[in-house]
Amino acid sequence: MDQRLRHLAEQLDVGLIARREFLRKAAVVTGGAAAGLATLRTMASAQPKTKLRVWLFKSFVTNANDVLGRQIEAWAKERGVDVELDWATFGDREPKFVAAIEAGNPPDLAEMHIMGPTRYKAVLRDMSALAGDLARAKGGLLPFAETAMKIDGKFLAVARYSMTTVFFVRKDVMEAKGLKPPKVYDPDVVEFARKTQDPSKDLFGFGQTLNRSDDGDGFMENIFWDYGGGSWDKDGKPALGTTFRAQNLKALQFAVDTIQKHKIQPPGVMGWTDVSNNEAYMAGKLVTTNNGASLYYAMVTKKHELAAKTQLVLTPGGPGGSFVGSSCYNWAIFGKSKHADLCEDLIRWVEDEKRFSEYLHVSVGQAGPVYKGRVDHPYWKSDPNFEAIVQNIVRSVNYGHPGPLTSAAVEVRAQHILTDMAGRVVVGGLSPEAALKEAHARVEEIYKMRRT
Amino acid sequence: MATPAARLPASAALQRRGAGGGLARALGPDYRLGYLFVAPIVVLVLALVAYPFGYAIYLSLTRKYVGVPPVWVGFDNYVKLTWDGFFQRAVVNSFVFTFGSVAVKLALGMAMALVLTARIRFRSFWTGVLLIPWVAPTVVSALNFLWIYDYSLGVLNYLLVKVLRVLPQGVGWLSEPGTAMASVIAVNVWRGFPFFGISFLAGMKAIPAEMYEAAAVDGATALQRFRHVTLPALQNIIIIVVLLSTIWTFNDFTIIYILTKGGPGGATQVLPVLTYEIAFGAQRLGEAIAVALYMLPAMAVVIIVLARHMRRGRAR
Repeated sequence: MDQRLRHLAEQLDVGLIARREFLRKAAVVTGGAAAGLATLRTMASAQPKTKLRVWLFKSFVTNANDVLGRQIEAWAKERGVDVELDWATFGDREPKFVAAIEAGNPPDLAEMHIMGPTRYKAVLRDMSALAGDLARAKGGLLPFAETAMKIDGKFLAVARYSMTTVFFVRKDVMEAKGLKPPKVYDPDVVEFARKTQDPSKDLFGFGQTLNRSDDGDGFMENIFWDYGGGSWDKDGKPALGTTFRAQNLKALQFAVDTIQKHKIQPPGVMGWTDVSNNEAYMAGKLVTTNNGASLYYAMVTKKHELAAKTQLVLTPGGPGGSFVGSSCYNWAIFGKSKHADLCEDLIRWVEDEKRFSEYLHVSVGQAGPVYKGRVDHPYWKSDPNFEAIVQNIVRSVNYGHPGPLTSAAVEVRAQHILTDMAGRVVVGGLSPEAALKEAHARVEEIYKMRRT
Repeated sequence: MATPAARLPASAALQRRGAGGGLARALGPDYRLGYLFVAPIVVLVLALVAYPFGYAIYLSLTRKYVGVPPVWVGFDNYVKLTWDGFFQRAVVNSFVFTFGSVAVKLALGMAMALVLTARIRFRSFWTGVLLIPWVAPTVVSALNFLWIYDYSLGVLNYLLVKVLRVLPQGVGWLSEPGTAMASVIAVNVWRGFPFFGISFLAGMKAIPAEMYEAAAVDGATALQRFRHVTLPALQNIIIIVVLLSTIWTFNDFTIIYILTKGGPGGATQVLPVLTYEIAFGAQRLGEAIAVALYMLPAMAVVIIVLARHMRRGRAR
C-alpha cells in the first residue's frame, strides 16, 4: 500500500482527521498515483523495444540447437531487439504452423522443413533478393535445394542446411566376414545381411521399417526411384499404378521381401517408429540400417562403443540408379511480419560463414551443405564417415521426382501413401498389385484435389 | 391500512403490468434479473461452444487449405468420405477399438470392484495401486507401452521368451495384423479400467448390507447375490460409466498415435488419428473436420442417452 495512504489511515484511526477528509485526501493520492503511472506507461510505450517472434526447429542434435539459440540471442543484444524464441520438434512443428496461420498470428521468422515453402506459399514473403545474395556469395545452391526453395519463380525461403539419410554399416561385423559395403539393395544388401545376421542371437542384417514414419516413407520413395519408378511422372502426373507400374511393383515386392521372403529384418519392424531403428542399432541388434546423421551424432557424443565400429556409406541403389531424397531446412518470413528487414538481418547474421561453421562443428554431420561453397568446407574432411553424407546430399532429388516438386507430391509423402501400401501387403495380406492399385487411387485423388 | 393493490394476490398484481405480465407469470416475478444472471454463461457458451461448433460445421462444407480462404463445396467432403476405403476402415477400426476396450474395461472394472469390496488385507493400499494407471498421464503410459511392446528391446517379449519360456520367439506386438489392434486396446483397457472399478466400488458401497443378508437367508449363492442384488443396484452406474467410456474411447487419440500412428498399413487407424493426419499432414482442414463430424450423429445418440440417465439419477 502507498505509504501516504497508510499514514492517512493511521490518522483516521486515532481520530486526527475526519472520515470525509480521509476520503478526500485518499482520492487525491490515489488519483495522482494513477495519473503518474499512466504518464510513465505512455512515455515507456513511446519507445518500445521491437519484438521479434522466431520459431526454430528443435532437432535431436541438441548441441547445434544451443549454438543457434546463442547466436540469435547475441544478434538480439547487438541490435537491441527483443526476440521470443519458440522451439518445435518433428511432431509438433506442422500443427503449430497450421494453428498459427489459421489464427492469423504466425511468427515473424521460422526455420522450416523442406515442405514448408510449398505448403505455406500463400502466407510467405518473397525473399528472392536475400536468397539470391546469399546463394551468390556461397557459390550457388545445390539443385535440389534451389527447387525446394523457389516456388513459382520466387524464393519463398532461404536455404540453411540439409539433413539426409545414409546407410549405417557395422564395420566390425563386415570386416569379420570379409565383406564390402553393399552398392545396390538387390542382391547386395540381401546377401550382405544374410551373411552377417544371426537371428538366434537377435542380430539382424537389415533394419528398415515400412511403417508410417519419416524413415519408412523416405525408404519407400528411394526404393521406387531406384527401380526406375516413382509416384509421379516427369510432368507431375500420377504414375504409381500407370506409367511406372512395372517398376513400382518390383520395388514394392523387394521391400516386402526383405521382411517376408529374405527374412533379413527383425520380426517387429512393421511396428517401428522413427527412433526404433536408432535404438535397435545402438543396442547392437542390427548390422545395417538407413538413418539420418542424428544416429551418428548420438553415438559420437555419448562415446558409444559402436561409433568407432560404424561406417557410413552411400545409400544403396537399384536397377534404375541410386536416389536419395534429402531435407533442406530453411528460413522463411511470414507475410504478416512487420519486421521483415530485421528478419533478413538475422538471417544474414546466422548464415555468416563463421557463425554457420560454429553450428556445423557441433552438428556431427547433420548440417549438410545446401550451398556449393559449403560442400568443400574442411569440416567434411574431418571424418571419413562424412563423405557419404555429402555425396548423398549432392545427388539428392525432391518429392515429385522425376517431375516437379508440387503440393500434391508433398501431400502424398505427408499422408504416408507409400508406407500404407507396403503395410497393406505385409500386414493386411493384399497382393502387391492390389495394394499398388489402391495407393494409386489415393494419389490420383490427392492430385485432383490439389489441382483445383 | 393496506391499499387495494397491496391486498391483491401477487399474480393478479402482475397481470396488471401489461406486456411483461405473461413472461412474469411464466418465468417468475424476477425474470429480468434471471436474464442478467444467466447472460454471462450464455455468452460464454455461445463464444466457446456454439460459435466454434458452427464454424466447424461450415468449414466441413468447404475445401479449406491452410492459409487460403475456404471454398464452398456443400456435402462433397462427406460424400467423398463415404466411399473412401481408407475412411471406411478407420470407422470399422474405431468401433472395434471402442467396443473391444469398453467390454474388457467393464469386466475388469467389475472384478476390481468386487475384489475391493471383499475383506482383503491392505484394501486401501490395493485401491491406490489399482488407480495408478488412471492417474498416470496418457502420454507417459503410451510411451512406456511402446517400449514394453518392442520386439527386440521390450520387456514383454523378454518375459514371455526368456523368463517364462512360453513362446519360442518374440512377437511383433504392434506390427502384426493379429496383435496390433489387440495391443492398442490392451493399453486403453489398462488405462481405463480403474475408472470403471472405482465407480462400481462407490456404487457397491451404497448397497445396504441388509439386502445381501436377506438374500443369503433365502439361500442365494454368491453368484445369485451378484446377479439379483448387485447388478440391479448398479444398473444406472454401469450405464453411465459405459456411455462415458464409449465417448472417451471413441475419441481417444494419444494411445494409438503414439503407439502406431494408425499403422501398420492402416491396421489401427481410427477416426481421431485420421482427423489429425488430414488436418496437419495433408493440411486439408475442411475434410479433416468432416471426418471428425461424420460420426457426430452416432455420438449424439450416446450423449443424449447418457444425459437422460444422468438426469434420472439426479432426480432420484
